[in-house]
Amino acid sequence: MTANLLNTLDLDRELSDQSPQEIIAYALEQFDNIAISFSGAEDVVLIDMAHRINPEKVQVFSLDTGRLHAETYRFIEKVREHYGIQIDVVFPDAYAVNNMVREKGLFSFYRDGHKECCSIRKIGPLRRKLLTVDAWITGQRRDQSPGTRTAIPVIQDDKAFARPDDTLTKFNPLANWSSNQVWEYIRSNNVPYNELHDRGYISIGCEPCTRATGPGQHEREGRWWWEEATMKECGLHSVNTQK
Amino acid sequence: MKITLVKKIKLDGSLCRKCEDVQQKMEAADQMSLIDEVLLADERDASSPGMVLARRYNVDQAPFFVVEREGLQPEIYTVYFKFVKEVLNQKTREEDELKEILNDNPDLDFL
Ligand code: SF4
Repeated sequence: MTANLLNTLDLDRELSDQSPQEIIAYALEQFDNIAISFSGAEDVVLIDMAHRINPEKVQVFSLDTGRLHAETYRFIEKVREHYGIQIDVVFPDAYAVNNMVREKGLFSFYRDGHKECCSIRKIGPLRRKLLTVDAWITGQRRDQSPGTRTAIPVIQDDKAFARPDDTLTKFNPLANWSSNQVWEYIRSNNVPYNELHDRGYISIGCEPCTRATGPGQHEREGRWWWEEATMKECGLHSVNTQK
Repeated sequence: MKITLVKKIKLDGSLCRKCEDVQQKMEAADQMSLIDEVLLADERDASSPGMVLARRYNVDQAPFFVVEREGLQPEIYTVYFKFVKEVLNQKTREEDELKEILNDNPDLDFL
């Protein structure tokens, strides 16, 4: 595990200067069993890039929490048709959702915070999906979450979702891109996008937990706006862990 | 096998919330007796034993476990439930596992 970690850290240093396309090309070359996580939002650029690099190797999955906007379902379908690809739509465990809803109702996140619902509707199916692959690609960017201490690397050893005694590699090719760069790419390459973006939605998640944002607002303000922004506190300050 | 638990002391001198939480869980499950050494990573002191280990293994999360087995490379666990399952061979509850993953990885909110 240690040797592997060091390897990933070295690679991160190397890949950090590369473009998202170069990172995706590298990922597709290194792994046969690799999947792109597609949320039905601007991370569609990953599919577009991968499709231009190697259309044969594009494996995509989406997490259907059961609470997405109708527009997002339409968009996922549009992407499937536009690129001629299969999209593996994965669902939460019905028993777990059933238990939560019976006990707490359909909108418990407004009262108890989003973590319980997200862990059942998103993290559970994500983990099931990731047990079937060797590597995955996400559209996560550093500029999405202000205040989080942990930087998003371009490549990482994903210990949380790895199979026991195995490794899982996670690529975040857009980590160093800004929202503006993503949108420049979408416009200049005529990439299809979710119609909600035209209605002021910057970040798109589930319908009850997403709202349009105004000028000057950070995209994070469009998600779980009723919760207090809390700082993640269990990272070790890098300033102190560096020699 | 030697198991070392590293806990973090924050800049204000208090134990980090997750470290506290994990410690409580471990005490309730009688797992502390299986830990050979507990070290502190004191954010105010880069030379504290836990900070030295964090640097050596490139760990940026606390708490974490170092598992040393004879003749093998040390293994690092930053996810408590994985440590419980894979090293202690004990059962965990899926809902606790999923919550821990989300708490430790707020970036997953944007999937
Ligand atoms: S975003 Fe909201 S509705 Fe969707 S899984 Fe999370 S808490 Fe539940």
